[in-house]
Amino acid sequence: MREFELLQPKSLDDALDALAVGDTAVRPLAGGTDMIVDIRARRAQPDVLVSLQNIAELRGVTRENGSLRIGAATTISDFLKNPLLLEHADIARQAAYVFANPMIRNLATIAGNIGSASPAGDMLPPLLALDAKIKLVSKKETRTLPLSDFFLGPRKTARRSDELISNLQFPISSSPCGTAFYKLGLRQADAISLISVAVWLERDGANIRDVRIALGAVAPIPLRATRAEELLRGQPFTESIVQQAAQLASEECSPINDLRATANYRRRMVAVYVCRMLEQAWKNS
Amino acid sequence: MPPRLVQLSVNGRAHHTALAPNTTLLYALRDLGYTDVKSGCEKGDCGACTVLVNNQPINSCLLLAWLAEGQEVVTVAGLGNAEHPHPLQKAFVDFGAAQCGYCIPGMIIAAKALLDEHPQPTDEQMREALSGNLCRCTGYVRIFEAIRNASADLNAQE
Repeated sequence: MREFELLQPKSLDDALDALAVGDTAVRPLAGGTDMIVDIRARRAQPDVLVSLQNIAELRGVTRENGSLRIGAATTISDFLKNPLLLEHADIARQAAYVFANPMIRNLATIAGNIGSASPAGDMLPPLLALDAKIKLVSKKETRTLPLSDFFLGPRKTARRSDELISNLQFPISSSPCGTAFYKLGLRQADAISLISVAVWLERDGANIRDVRIALGAVAPIPLRATRAEELLRGQPFTESIVQQAAQLASEECSPINDLRATANYRRRMVAVYVCRMLEQAWKNS
Repeated sequence: MPPRLVQLSVNGRAHHTALAPNTTLLYALRDLGYTDVKSGCEKGDCGACTVLVNNQPINSCLLLAWLAEGQEVVTVAGLGNAEHPHPLQKAFVDFGAAQCGYCIPGMIIAAKALLDEHPQPTDEQMREALSGNLCRCTGYVRIFEAIRNASADLNAQE
């Protein structure tokens, strides 16, 4: 494997000092489940890795003022165990349950999944559906963006090389809401998504007060199906409108042919699963 | 960056060894003589390299060895041996769970982690816990049978 320096800072300040040089060959290292694989495959060629293992400021899940705040170092396994996450982020738990495999889940972090920005990243559509915001810190400044503005292209994000992802935040809904997530893969576990669909909706009697539909693995970035959402917002929940919305969502994405599936198949599956997940989320609300 | 002297605690033993920063726990362990830990895909897909770190199953091919310092590492050899086998090891032998044997250390470690958390796992929990351990030989049938029996055995002992 490529030779690199491995720094083990004990505080967030020390870690940010190490990154302040602003060199793209100086990379943060969290769980390593993408980074080490990428280094072996020569897709990543860092000279310095800054281990975030000892940075306490990146850990922890807290509830404050009607929002849930999730530390960057939260592992995927935490989404299956942490009481606050189980209570308020069930859609992310559903994705965590089918994320890679148990060993990977114990090492991989939520910020790592976001920072890697694979178009097929499994935690990404749920976080988009939760309308999450991402906080980035560096020696120079702290800034917060909507997660939907963070993804710029396949494996490209708005994170500058001197920045660390610090946490994610999303509002906890006070109205009845329902969520659903589905990952379509070539096997039941240990698989990369062909498509993934995350639906969040807020119910008002027989009407959809608000809805968010996020799609994964069917575009250069994970994305919200905003035209499908617009069609549904404020409308009574009927089979007909759900079918129309699912059809719109399948037109809003831009899947590709690759070794796992064809673009055509993916597009058709988006329609199928947006429909099913809307129905499931409605049932859960 | 020069190699650094690192202390690793493996199966209850303390080891001091000089390791380069780009050494994974997998190779650090094998070089220390723990060849029961197997290299498969080196991508975290196959689970052959699975070890426990602080009681959590992880892929040793993806953890840099320096980052395992100060933590408790357990490999399958640490669970028992031929004279005093762990109930899981005994069950894997008794039920003929191994063919080529290559996936087995990872399977047993994953099964140990499962039984630590769910002493009487459902079939779904068992399959889920082993979903990161691939076997090309057996079709998993006797592996699962062995785990079910080891679980019953361990529960009977209490």
